[in-house]
Amino acid sequence: MLLDYDRMGWLKIALLGFTALVAGFLLLPVVFIVLLSFGSSRWLAFPPPGWTLKWYQELFADPAWLDAALTSARIATMTAILAVAIGLLASFALVRGQFAGREILRGLLLTPMVLPVVVFAIAIYAFFLRLGLGGTTIGFVIAHTVLALPFAIIPVATALEGFDKSIEDAAIVCGASPLEARLRITLPSIRIGIFSAAIFSFLASWDEVVVAIFMASPSLQTLPVKIWGSLRSDLSPVIAAASSLLVGLTLALMVVTALLQRKLRT
Amino acid sequence: MSVETRRNFGTVRLPAGFNGLLPALVLIVLFFVIPVLALLLRSVTEPEPGLQNYAALLGDGTYARVFFNTFLVASVVTIVTVLVAFPVAWMLAIMPSALASIVFGVIILSMWTNLLTRTYAWMVLLQRTGVINRTLIAAGVIDQPLPLINNLTGVTIGMVYIMLPFMILPLVGTLRAIDPMTLRAAALCGASPFQAFRRILLPLSLPGIAAGGLMVFVMSLGYFVTPALLGGTSNMMLAEMIAQMIQSLLNWGLGSAAAFILLVVTMALYALQLRLVGARRMSGGI
Repeated sequence: MLLDYDRMGWLKIALLGFTALVAGFLLLPVVFIVLLSFGSSRWLAFPPPGWTLKWYQELFADPAWLDAALTSARIATMTAILAVAIGLLASFALVRGQFAGREILRGLLLTPMVLPVVVFAIAIYAFFLRLGLGGTTIGFVIAHTVLALPFAIIPVATALEGFDKSIEDAAIVCGASPLEARLRITLPSIRIGIFSAAIFSFLASWDEVVVAIFMASPSLQTLPVKIWGSLRSDLSPVIAAASSLLVGLTLALMVVTALLQRKLRT
Repeated sequence: MSVETRRNFGTVRLPAGFNGLLPALVLIVLFFVIPVLALLLRSVTEPEPGLQNYAALLGDGTYARVFFNTFLVASVVTIVTVLVAFPVAWMLAIMPSALASIVFGVIILSMWTNLLTRTYAWMVLLQRTGVINRTLIAAGVIDQPLPLINNLTGVTIGMVYIMLPFMILPLVGTLRAIDPMTLRAAALCGASPFQAFRRILLPLSLPGIAAGGLMVFVMSLGYFVTPALLGGTSNMMLAEMIAQMIQSLLNWGLGSAAAFILLVVTMALYALQLRLVGARRMSGGI
Protein backbone atom coordinates (compact mmCIF):
# COMPACT_ATOMS: atom_id res chain seq x y z
CA MET A 1 0.00 0.00 0.00
CA LEU A 2 2.87 2.31 0.79
CA LEU A 3 3.99 2.35 -2.83
CA ASP A 4 0.49 2.52 -4.23
CA TYR A 5 -0.14 6.15 -5.15
CA ASP A 6 -3.89 5.77 -5.47
CA ARG A 7 -4.44 3.95 -2.20
CA MET A 8 -2.38 5.84 0.34
CA GLY A 9 -5.08 8.01 1.85
CA TRP A 10 -4.04 10.71 4.31
CA LEU A 11 -0.40 9.63 4.13
CA LYS A 12 -0.29 10.67 0.49
CA ILE A 13 -1.64 14.11 1.32
CA ALA A 14 0.91 14.57 4.09
CA LEU A 15 3.79 13.45 1.90
CA LEU A 16 2.63 15.54 -1.05
CA GLY A 17 2.41 18.56 1.22
CA PHE A 18 5.94 17.92 2.43
CA THR A 19 7.20 17.48 -1.13
CA ALA A 20 5.61 20.79 -2.12
CA LEU A 21 7.31 22.46 0.85
CA VAL A 22 10.71 21.08 -0.16
CA ALA A 23 10.17 22.14 -3.76
CA GLY A 24 9.37 25.62 -2.44
CA PHE A 25 12.54 25.54 -0.34
CA LEU A 26 14.57 24.60 -3.42
CA LEU A 27 12.96 27.30 -5.53
CA LEU A 28 13.04 30.07 -2.90
CA PRO A 29 16.65 31.35 -3.30
CA VAL A 30 16.49 31.32 -7.09
CA VAL A 31 13.25 33.30 -7.27
CA PHE A 32 14.34 35.55 -4.42
CA ILE A 33 17.57 36.59 -6.16
CA VAL A 34 15.73 37.56 -9.33
CA LEU A 35 13.17 39.65 -7.40
CA LEU A 36 15.93 41.24 -5.35
CA SER A 37 17.82 42.35 -8.44
CA PHE A 38 14.85 44.52 -9.46
CA GLY A 39 14.27 45.92 -5.97
CA SER A 40 15.15 49.55 -5.37
CA SER A 41 16.51 49.23 -1.82
CA ARG A 42 20.28 49.15 -1.38
CA TRP A 43 19.76 47.47 1.99
CA LEU A 44 18.14 44.41 0.48
CA ALA A 45 14.84 45.13 2.19
CA PHE A 46 12.14 42.77 1.05
CA PRO A 47 9.58 43.34 -0.28
CA PRO A 48 11.39 46.34 -1.78
CA PRO A 49 9.91 49.85 -1.66
CA GLY A 50 9.98 50.04 -5.46
CA TRP A 51 11.22 48.42 -8.63
CA THR A 52 14.22 49.53 -10.64
CA LEU A 53 16.77 48.53 -13.24
CA LYS A 54 19.60 50.55 -11.71
CA TRP A 55 21.56 47.50 -10.43
CA TYR A 56 21.71 46.19 -13.98
CA GLN A 57 22.87 49.61 -15.17
CA GLU A 58 25.54 49.63 -12.47
CA LEU A 59 26.56 46.12 -13.47
CA PHE A 60 26.97 46.96 -17.15
CA ALA A 61 28.66 50.27 -16.37
CA ASP A 62 31.46 48.50 -14.53
CA PRO A 63 33.88 47.00 -17.06
CA ALA A 64 35.32 44.67 -14.39
CA TRP A 65 32.12 42.60 -14.37
CA LEU A 66 32.00 42.26 -18.13
CA ASP A 67 35.69 41.46 -18.17
CA ALA A 68 35.24 38.71 -15.58
CA ALA A 69 32.29 37.25 -17.50
CA LEU A 70 34.26 37.18 -20.74
CA THR A 71 37.26 35.61 -18.99
CA SER A 72 35.00 32.92 -17.52
CA ALA A 73 33.38 32.24 -20.88
CA ARG A 74 36.75 31.97 -22.59
CA ILE A 75 38.24 29.62 -19.99
CA ALA A 76 35.10 27.48 -19.78
CA THR A 77 34.91 27.12 -23.57
CA MET A 78 38.52 26.03 -23.84
CA THR A 79 38.06 23.68 -20.89
CA ALA A 80 34.97 22.10 -22.46
CA ILE A 81 36.74 21.54 -25.81
CA LEU A 82 39.82 20.00 -24.17
CA ALA A 83 37.90 17.89 -21.67
CA VAL A 84 35.54 16.50 -24.31
CA ALA A 85 38.40 15.68 -26.72
CA ILE A 86 40.50 13.97 -24.05
CA GLY A 87 37.45 12.39 -22.43
CA LEU A 88 36.19 10.99 -25.73
CA LEU A 89 39.47 9.23 -26.45
CA ALA A 90 39.68 7.96 -22.89
CA SER A 91 36.09 6.69 -22.94
CA PHE A 92 36.74 4.56 -26.03
CA ALA A 93 39.76 3.03 -24.31
CA LEU A 94 37.91 2.50 -21.02
CA VAL A 95 34.83 0.94 -22.58
CA ARG A 96 36.40 -1.09 -25.38
CA GLY A 97 40.04 -1.63 -24.39
CA GLN A 98 41.12 -5.06 -23.22
CA PHE A 99 43.88 -4.58 -20.72
CA ALA A 100 44.63 -5.28 -17.10
CA GLY A 101 43.96 -2.55 -14.59
CA ARG A 102 41.20 -0.94 -16.61
CA GLU A 103 38.96 -0.44 -13.58
CA ILE A 104 41.85 1.06 -11.61
CA LEU A 105 42.58 3.52 -14.41
CA ARG A 106 38.90 4.42 -14.61
CA GLY A 107 38.98 5.09 -10.87
CA LEU A 108 42.12 7.22 -11.24
CA LEU A 109 40.60 9.39 -13.96
CA LEU A 110 37.45 9.95 -11.89
CA THR A 111 39.31 10.83 -8.67
CA PRO A 112 39.31 14.62 -9.28
CA MET A 113 35.54 14.46 -8.81
CA VAL A 114 35.90 12.97 -5.34
CA LEU A 115 38.94 14.64 -3.83
CA PRO A 116 37.98 17.79 -1.91
CA VAL A 117 38.60 20.69 -4.27
CA VAL A 118 40.54 22.60 -1.62
CA VAL A 119 43.24 19.95 -1.61
CA PHE A 120 43.59 20.05 -5.39
CA ALA A 121 43.38 23.84 -5.38
CA ILE A 122 46.36 24.38 -3.11
CA ALA A 123 48.31 21.56 -4.77
CA ILE A 124 47.92 22.96 -8.29
CA TYR A 125 48.42 26.51 -7.00
CA ALA A 126 51.81 25.58 -5.50
CA PHE A 127 52.73 23.58 -8.61
CA PHE A 128 51.85 26.40 -11.01
CA LEU A 129 53.66 28.98 -8.89
CA ARG A 130 56.80 26.95 -9.48
CA LEU A 131 56.12 26.56 -13.21
CA GLY A 132 55.19 30.22 -13.63
CA LEU A 133 51.66 29.31 -14.74
CA GLY A 134 49.88 30.86 -11.75
CA GLY A 135 47.32 33.46 -12.76
CA THR A 136 47.53 32.61 -16.47
CA THR A 137 44.73 31.55 -18.78
CA ILE A 138 46.57 28.37 -19.70
CA GLY A 139 46.99 27.52 -16.00
CA PHE A 140 43.26 28.03 -15.42
CA VAL A 141 42.36 25.88 -18.42
CA ILE A 142 44.64 23.01 -17.36
CA ALA A 143 43.38 23.02 -13.76
CA HIS A 144 39.75 23.20 -14.85
CA THR A 145 40.22 20.46 -17.44
CA VAL A 146 41.48 18.14 -14.69
CA LEU A 147 38.32 18.90 -12.68
CA ALA A 148 36.03 18.64 -15.72
CA LEU A 149 37.44 15.38 -17.10
CA PRO A 150 35.27 13.07 -14.95
CA PHE A 151 32.17 15.00 -16.06
CA ALA A 152 33.22 14.52 -19.67
CA ILE A 153 34.09 10.82 -19.34
CA ILE A 154 30.99 9.66 -17.46
CA PRO A 155 28.28 10.61 -19.99
CA VAL A 156 30.36 9.59 -23.02
CA ALA A 157 31.35 6.24 -21.50
CA THR A 158 27.75 5.59 -20.49
CA ALA A 159 26.53 6.35 -24.02
CA LEU A 160 29.25 4.20 -25.52
CA GLU A 161 28.35 1.26 -23.28
CA GLY A 162 24.81 1.48 -24.59
CA PHE A 163 25.94 1.54 -28.22
CA ASP A 164 25.97 -1.76 -30.11
CA LYS A 165 29.49 -2.16 -31.47
CA SER A 166 28.35 -4.60 -34.15
CA ILE A 167 26.86 -1.66 -36.07
CA GLU A 168 30.33 -0.15 -36.31
CA ASP A 169 31.74 -3.55 -37.35
CA ALA A 170 29.06 -3.82 -40.01
CA ALA A 171 30.19 -0.48 -41.48
CA ILE A 172 33.76 -1.79 -41.62
CA VAL A 173 32.62 -4.99 -43.31
CA CYS A 174 30.82 -2.81 -45.86
CA GLY A 175 34.12 -1.12 -46.69
CA ALA A 176 34.50 1.80 -44.29
CA SER A 177 37.89 2.28 -42.67
CA PRO A 178 37.86 1.85 -38.86
CA LEU A 179 38.34 5.60 -38.40
CA GLU A 180 35.59 6.39 -40.88
CA ALA A 181 33.24 3.99 -39.13
CA ARG A 182 33.89 5.64 -35.80
CA LEU A 183 33.49 9.17 -37.16
CA ARG A 184 30.39 8.53 -39.24
CA ILE A 185 28.59 5.80 -37.32
CA THR A 186 29.64 5.71 -33.69
CA LEU A 187 30.11 9.40 -32.91
CA PRO A 188 26.71 10.44 -34.28
CA SER A 189 25.09 7.64 -32.28
CA ILE A 190 26.57 8.81 -28.97
CA ARG A 191 26.06 12.52 -29.68
CA ILE A 192 23.75 12.98 -26.69
CA GLY A 193 26.53 11.73 -24.43
CA ILE A 194 29.06 14.02 -26.11
CA PHE A 195 26.70 16.96 -25.89
CA SER A 196 26.06 16.36 -22.17
CA ALA A 197 29.81 16.03 -21.65
CA ALA A 198 30.36 19.44 -23.27
CA ILE A 199 27.68 21.14 -21.13
CA PHE A 200 28.86 19.49 -17.91
CA SER A 201 32.51 20.37 -18.50
CA PHE A 202 31.62 23.92 -19.46
CA LEU A 203 29.65 24.31 -16.22
CA ALA A 204 32.38 22.60 -14.17
CA SER A 205 34.68 25.43 -15.19
CA TRP A 206 32.13 28.25 -15.37
CA ASP A 207 30.93 27.60 -11.79
CA GLU A 208 34.28 26.73 -10.29
CA VAL A 209 35.17 28.88 -7.28
CA VAL A 210 37.85 27.30 -5.13
CA VAL A 211 40.69 26.73 -7.60
CA ALA A 212 39.83 30.07 -9.16
CA ILE A 213 40.19 31.93 -5.85
CA PHE A 214 43.73 30.63 -5.48
CA MET A 215 44.74 31.01 -9.12
CA ALA A 216 43.24 34.41 -9.84
CA SER A 217 45.48 37.43 -10.22
CA PRO A 218 44.42 41.07 -10.25
CA SER A 219 44.58 41.00 -14.05
CA LEU A 220 42.83 37.65 -14.52
CA GLN A 221 39.58 37.12 -12.62
CA THR A 222 36.77 34.76 -13.46
CA LEU A 223 33.16 35.63 -12.71
CA PRO A 224 32.93 33.46 -9.55
CA VAL A 225 36.07 35.14 -8.20
CA LYS A 226 34.54 38.56 -8.84
CA ILE A 227 31.30 37.52 -7.11
CA TRP A 228 33.25 35.98 -4.23
CA GLY A 229 35.16 39.22 -3.74
CA SER A 230 31.96 41.29 -3.72
CA LEU A 231 30.28 38.86 -1.32
CA ARG A 232 33.08 39.28 1.17
CA SER A 233 33.12 43.06 0.98
CA ASP A 234 29.45 44.02 0.63
CA LEU A 235 26.14 42.43 -0.22
CA SER A 236 25.28 45.01 -2.87
CA PRO A 237 22.26 44.26 -5.10
CA VAL A 238 24.65 44.44 -8.08
CA ILE A 239 25.56 40.84 -7.15
CA ALA A 240 21.87 39.99 -7.36
CA ALA A 241 21.74 41.46 -10.86
CA ALA A 242 24.82 39.49 -11.93
CA SER A 243 23.40 36.36 -10.31
CA SER A 244 20.05 36.79 -12.04
CA LEU A 245 21.78 36.95 -15.39
CA LEU A 246 23.51 33.69 -14.47
CA VAL A 247 20.16 32.12 -13.54
CA GLY A 248 18.79 33.28 -16.89
CA LEU A 249 21.74 31.76 -18.72
CA THR A 250 21.32 28.50 -16.80
CA LEU A 251 17.62 28.36 -17.64
CA ALA A 252 18.40 28.99 -21.30
CA LEU A 253 21.03 26.22 -21.28
CA MET A 254 18.58 23.84 -19.60
CA VAL A 255 15.89 24.54 -22.17
CA VAL A 256 18.34 24.16 -25.06
CA THR A 257 19.59 20.86 -23.60
CA ALA A 258 16.07 19.52 -23.13
CA LEU A 259 14.99 20.57 -26.63
CA LEU A 260 18.11 19.17 -28.27
CA GLN A 261 17.84 15.88 -26.42
CA ARG A 262 14.23 15.55 -27.47
CA LYS A 263 15.12 16.36 -31.05
CA LEU A 264 18.07 13.97 -31.09
CA ARG A 265 16.03 11.13 -29.67
CA THR A 266 13.32 11.33 -32.29
CA MET B 1 53.64 8.67 -38.70
CA SER B 2 57.28 7.93 -39.48
CA VAL B 3 58.85 4.50 -39.23
CA GLU B 4 60.96 5.76 -36.32
CA THR B 5 58.06 6.60 -34.03
CA ARG B 6 56.12 3.55 -35.00
CA ARG B 7 59.05 1.41 -33.95
CA ASN B 8 59.24 3.27 -30.65
CA PHE B 9 55.63 2.52 -29.94
CA GLY B 10 56.29 -1.07 -30.91
CA THR B 11 58.94 -1.51 -28.26
CA VAL B 12 56.70 -0.15 -25.51
CA ARG B 13 54.05 -2.74 -26.47
CA LEU B 14 50.94 -0.94 -25.39
CA PRO B 15 47.96 -3.26 -25.00
CA ALA B 16 45.19 -3.08 -27.58
CA GLY B 17 42.98 -0.04 -27.29
CA PHE B 18 45.15 1.61 -24.65
CA ASN B 19 46.43 4.54 -26.72
CA GLY B 20 43.29 6.60 -26.28
CA LEU B 21 43.94 6.76 -22.56
CA LEU B 22 47.34 8.40 -22.99
CA PRO B 23 46.26 12.06 -23.17
CA ALA B 24 43.99 11.65 -20.15
CA LEU B 25 46.67 9.84 -18.18
CA VAL B 26 49.32 12.44 -19.03
CA LEU B 27 46.95 15.20 -17.91
CA ILE B 28 45.96 13.48 -14.67
CA VAL B 29 49.43 12.29 -13.71
CA LEU B 30 51.19 15.54 -14.57
CA PHE B 31 48.62 18.00 -13.24
CA PHE B 32 46.83 16.04 -10.56
CA VAL B 33 48.84 13.16 -9.11
CA ILE B 34 52.23 14.90 -9.09
CA PRO B 35 51.00 18.23 -7.64
CA VAL B 36 49.04 16.42 -4.90
CA LEU B 37 52.02 14.20 -4.05
CA ALA B 38 54.33 17.23 -4.05
CA LEU B 39 51.95 18.93 -1.64
CA LEU B 40 51.95 15.93 0.66
CA LEU B 41 55.73 15.91 0.57
CA ARG B 42 55.73 19.47 1.85
CA SER B 43 53.75 18.39 4.90
CA VAL B 44 56.71 16.32 6.12
CA THR B 45 59.53 18.57 4.88
CA GLU B 46 58.46 22.09 5.83
CA PRO B 47 59.70 23.93 7.80
CA GLU B 48 62.02 21.00 8.55
CA PRO B 49 61.88 17.23 7.88
CA GLY B 50 59.76 15.32 10.32
CA LEU B 51 56.20 14.76 11.46
CA GLN B 52 55.98 17.89 13.60
CA ASN B 53 53.16 19.35 11.45
CA TYR B 54 50.97 16.34 12.14
CA ALA B 55 51.90 16.39 15.83
CA ALA B 56 50.93 20.08 15.97
CA LEU B 57 47.59 19.46 14.19
CA LEU B 58 46.56 16.46 16.24
CA GLY B 59 47.89 17.71 19.58
CA ASP B 60 46.45 21.21 19.63
CA GLY B 61 43.02 22.00 21.07
CA THR B 62 42.24 24.72 18.51
CA TYR B 63 42.76 22.35 15.61
CA ALA B 64 40.94 19.57 17.42
CA ARG B 65 37.95 21.90 17.57
CA VAL B 66 38.07 22.42 13.81
CA PHE B 67 38.20 18.65 13.21
CA PHE B 68 35.33 18.14 15.62
CA ASN B 69 33.32 20.91 13.96
CA THR B 70 33.91 19.49 10.53
CA PHE B 71 32.57 16.09 11.55
CA LEU B 72 29.71 17.66 13.48
CA VAL B 73 28.56 19.81 10.55
CA ALA B 74 28.95 16.96 8.06
CA SER B 75 26.96 14.62 10.34
CA VAL B 76 24.16 17.10 11.01
CA VAL B 77 23.93 17.99 7.31
CA THR B 78 23.82 14.31 6.33
CA ILE B 79 21.11 13.42 8.84
CA VAL B 80 18.90 16.38 7.95
CA THR B 81 19.41 15.76 4.23
CA VAL B 82 18.39 12.10 4.54
CA LEU B 83 15.32 12.96 6.63
CA VAL B 84 14.16 15.63 4.17
CA ALA B 85 15.08 13.72 1.01
CA PHE B 86 13.42 10.41 1.85
CA PRO B 87 9.75 11.51 1.78
CA VAL B 88 10.37 13.57 -1.36
CA ALA B 89 12.08 10.69 -3.15
CA TRP B 90 9.29 8.39 -1.99
CA MET B 91 6.63 10.61 -3.56
CA LEU B 92 8.69 11.19 -6.70
CA ALA B 93 9.00 7.44 -7.17
CA ILE B 94 5.24 6.87 -7.29
CA MET B 95 3.79 10.23 -8.42
CA PRO B 96 2.04 10.61 -11.76
CA SER B 97 4.82 11.50 -14.16
CA ALA B 98 3.45 14.93 -15.12
CA LEU B 99 3.58 16.04 -11.50
CA ALA B 100 6.95 14.38 -10.91
CA SER B 101 8.53 16.15 -13.86
CA ILE B 102 7.63 19.53 -12.32
CA VAL B 103 9.38 18.59 -9.09
CA PHE B 104 12.35 17.19 -11.02
CA GLY B 105 12.50 20.47 -12.97
CA VAL B 106 12.68 22.45 -9.73
CA ILE B 107 15.42 20.16 -8.36
CA ILE B 108 17.48 20.44 -11.53
CA LEU B 109 17.03 24.21 -11.76
CA SER B 110 18.33 24.62 -8.21
CA MET B 111 21.19 22.21 -8.89
CA TRP B 112 22.22 24.09 -12.02
CA THR B 113 22.06 27.51 -10.45
CA ASN B 114 25.48 28.92 -9.72
CA LEU B 115 26.71 27.82 -6.28
CA LEU B 116 27.68 31.35 -5.24
CA THR B 117 24.31 32.68 -6.37
CA ARG B 118 22.47 30.24 -4.14
CA THR B 119 24.75 30.94 -1.20
CA TYR B 120 24.34 34.69 -1.70
CA ALA B 121 20.57 34.25 -1.61
CA TRP B 122 20.81 32.46 1.72
CA MET B 123 23.16 35.13 3.10
CA VAL B 124 20.52 37.74 2.40
CA LEU B 125 17.54 35.61 3.44
CA LEU B 126 19.04 34.54 6.77
CA GLN B 127 20.39 37.92 7.92
CA ARG B 128 19.28 39.41 11.26
CA THR B 129 17.12 41.83 9.31
CA GLY B 130 16.49 39.34 6.52
CA VAL B 131 13.21 38.23 5.06
CA ILE B 132 12.83 35.15 7.24
CA ASN B 133 13.34 36.98 10.52
CA ARG B 134 11.06 39.86 9.48
CA THR B 135 8.33 37.49 8.39
CA LEU B 136 8.48 35.55 11.64
CA ILE B 137 8.40 38.77 13.68
CA ALA B 138 5.56 40.19 11.65
CA ALA B 139 3.64 36.95 12.13
CA GLY B 140 4.19 37.24 15.86
CA VAL B 141 6.05 33.93 16.13
CA ILE B 142 9.14 35.53 17.67
CA ASP B 143 10.00 38.88 19.31
CA GLN B 144 13.72 38.99 18.68
CA PRO B 145 15.41 38.08 15.38
CA LEU B 146 16.78 34.54 15.45
CA PRO B 147 20.53 34.13 14.88
CA LEU B 148 20.32 32.23 11.60
CA ILE B 149 23.64 33.07 10.01
CA ASN B 150 27.32 32.80 10.94
CA ASN B 151 26.56 29.74 13.03
CA LEU B 152 25.72 26.06 12.73
CA THR B 153 22.12 26.81 11.72
CA GLY B 154 23.23 28.90 8.74
CA VAL B 155 25.75 26.35 7.53
CA THR B 156 23.23 23.52 7.93
CA ILE B 157 20.50 25.31 5.96
CA GLY B 158 22.89 26.33 3.19
CA MET B 159 24.54 22.92 2.89
CA VAL B 160 21.34 20.85 3.11
CA TYR B 161 20.02 23.03 0.32
CA ILE B 162 22.99 22.13 -1.87
CA MET B 163 23.11 18.43 -0.93
CA LEU B 164 19.38 17.62 -1.29
CA PRO B 165 19.48 16.89 -5.06
CA PHE B 166 22.42 14.52 -4.58
CA MET B 167 20.36 12.53 -2.08
CA ILE B 168 16.93 12.73 -3.74
CA LEU B 169 17.91 11.71 -7.26
CA PRO B 170 19.65 8.39 -6.45
CA LEU B 171 17.03 7.53 -3.80
CA VAL B 172 14.25 7.80 -6.38
CA GLY B 173 16.04 5.08 -8.33
CA THR B 174 16.27 2.83 -5.27
CA LEU B 175 12.63 3.32 -4.36
CA ARG B 176 11.41 2.76 -7.92
CA ALA B 177 13.24 -0.58 -7.97
CA ILE B 178 11.17 -1.86 -5.01
CA ASP B 179 8.32 -4.08 -6.09
CA PRO B 180 5.03 -2.61 -4.78
CA MET B 181 3.71 -6.18 -4.52
CA THR B 182 5.94 -6.84 -1.50
CA LEU B 183 4.11 -4.07 0.37
CA ARG B 184 0.72 -5.27 -0.78
CA ALA B 185 1.64 -8.72 0.46
CA ALA B 186 2.61 -7.26 3.82
CA ALA B 187 -0.74 -5.49 4.07
CA LEU B 188 -2.60 -8.68 3.15
CA CYS B 189 -0.75 -10.51 5.89
CA GLY B 190 -2.03 -7.96 8.36
CA ALA B 191 0.87 -5.55 8.70
CA SER B 192 -0.09 -2.01 9.72
CA PRO B 193 1.25 0.77 7.46
CA PHE B 194 3.80 1.62 10.12
CA GLN B 195 4.97 -1.99 10.36
CA ALA B 196 5.17 -2.24 6.58
CA PHE B 197 7.27 0.92 6.50
CA ARG B 198 9.63 -0.15 9.24
CA ARG B 199 10.04 -3.80 8.29
CA ILE B 200 9.87 -3.61 4.49
CA LEU B 201 10.10 -0.19 2.83
CA LEU B 202 12.88 1.16 5.03
CA PRO B 203 15.13 -1.94 4.95
CA LEU B 204 14.71 -2.24 1.18
CA SER B 205 15.71 1.38 0.62
CA LEU B 206 18.59 1.24 3.10
CA PRO B 207 21.29 0.60 0.46
CA GLY B 208 20.26 3.77 -1.37
CA ILE B 209 20.10 5.76 1.86
CA ALA B 210 23.53 4.51 2.92
CA ALA B 211 25.15 5.23 -0.43
CA GLY B 212 23.58 8.68 -0.81
CA GLY B 213 24.21 9.55 2.81
CA LEU B 214 27.85 8.60 2.56
CA MET B 215 28.22 10.70 -0.59
CA VAL B 216 26.65 13.71 1.14
CA PHE B 217 28.87 13.18 4.18
CA VAL B 218 32.05 12.96 2.08
CA MET B 219 31.12 16.04 0.05
CA SER B 220 30.29 17.99 3.22
CA LEU B 221 33.60 17.14 4.88
CA GLY B 222 35.61 18.99 2.25
CA TYR B 223 33.16 21.79 1.50
CA PHE B 224 34.61 25.25 1.35
CA VAL B 225 32.37 27.94 -0.12
CA THR B 226 29.15 27.58 1.85
CA PRO B 227 30.72 27.16 5.32
CA ALA B 228 33.07 30.08 4.61
CA LEU B 229 30.15 32.38 3.76
CA LEU B 230 27.38 31.14 6.05
CA GLY B 231 29.39 29.86 9.00
CA GLY B 232 30.90 31.77 11.88
CA THR B 233 34.48 32.05 13.04
CA SER B 234 33.75 29.82 16.02
CA ASN B 235 32.68 26.88 13.89
CA MET B 236 35.25 26.93 11.13
CA MET B 237 35.53 23.79 9.03
CA LEU B 238 38.62 21.97 7.82
CA ALA B 239 38.59 23.16 4.21
CA GLU B 240 38.38 26.79 5.28
CA MET B 241 41.18 26.30 7.79
CA ILE B 242 43.40 24.78 5.10
CA ALA B 243 42.73 27.69 2.75
CA GLN B 244 43.49 30.15 5.52
CA MET B 245 46.73 28.44 6.51
CA ILE B 246 47.95 28.69 2.93
CA GLN B 247 46.47 32.00 1.80
CA SER B 248 46.82 34.26 4.80
CA LEU B 249 49.34 32.52 7.04
CA LEU B 250 51.51 31.11 4.21
CA ASN B 251 52.14 28.11 6.46
CA TRP B 252 52.53 25.48 3.73
CA GLY B 253 53.77 22.74 6.05
CA LEU B 254 50.79 22.88 8.37
CA GLY B 255 48.30 23.54 5.58
CA SER B 256 49.42 20.58 3.52
CA ALA B 257 49.41 18.29 6.57
CA ALA B 258 45.78 19.27 7.20
CA ALA B 259 45.05 18.72 3.50
CA PHE B 260 46.56 15.25 3.73
CA ILE B 261 44.36 14.36 6.70
CA LEU B 262 41.30 15.53 4.75
CA LEU B 263 42.44 13.51 1.74
CA VAL B 264 42.94 10.30 3.72
CA VAL B 265 39.57 10.51 5.46
CA THR B 266 37.76 11.34 2.19
CA MET B 267 39.42 8.59 0.19
CA ALA B 268 38.79 6.01 2.93
CA LEU B 269 35.08 6.87 2.99
CA TYR B 270 34.99 6.90 -0.81
CA ALA B 271 36.48 3.40 -0.89
CA LEU B 272 33.82 2.29 1.57
CA GLN B 273 31.14 3.78 -0.65
CA LEU B 274 32.53 2.01 -3.72
CA ARG B 275 32.29 -1.27 -1.86
CA LEU B 276 28.69 -0.48 -0.97
CA VAL B 277 27.54 0.55 -4.43
CA GLY B 278 30.10 -0.82 -6.88
CA ALA B 279 32.30 1.38 -9.04
CA ARG B 280 30.31 0.92 -12.21
CA ARG B 281 27.01 2.04 -10.76
CA MET B 282 28.70 5.02 -9.13
CA SER B 283 30.21 6.28 -12.32
CA GLY B 284 27.07 5.60 -14.33
CA GLY B 285 24.93 7.46 -11.87
CA ILE B 286 25.12 10.92 -13.36
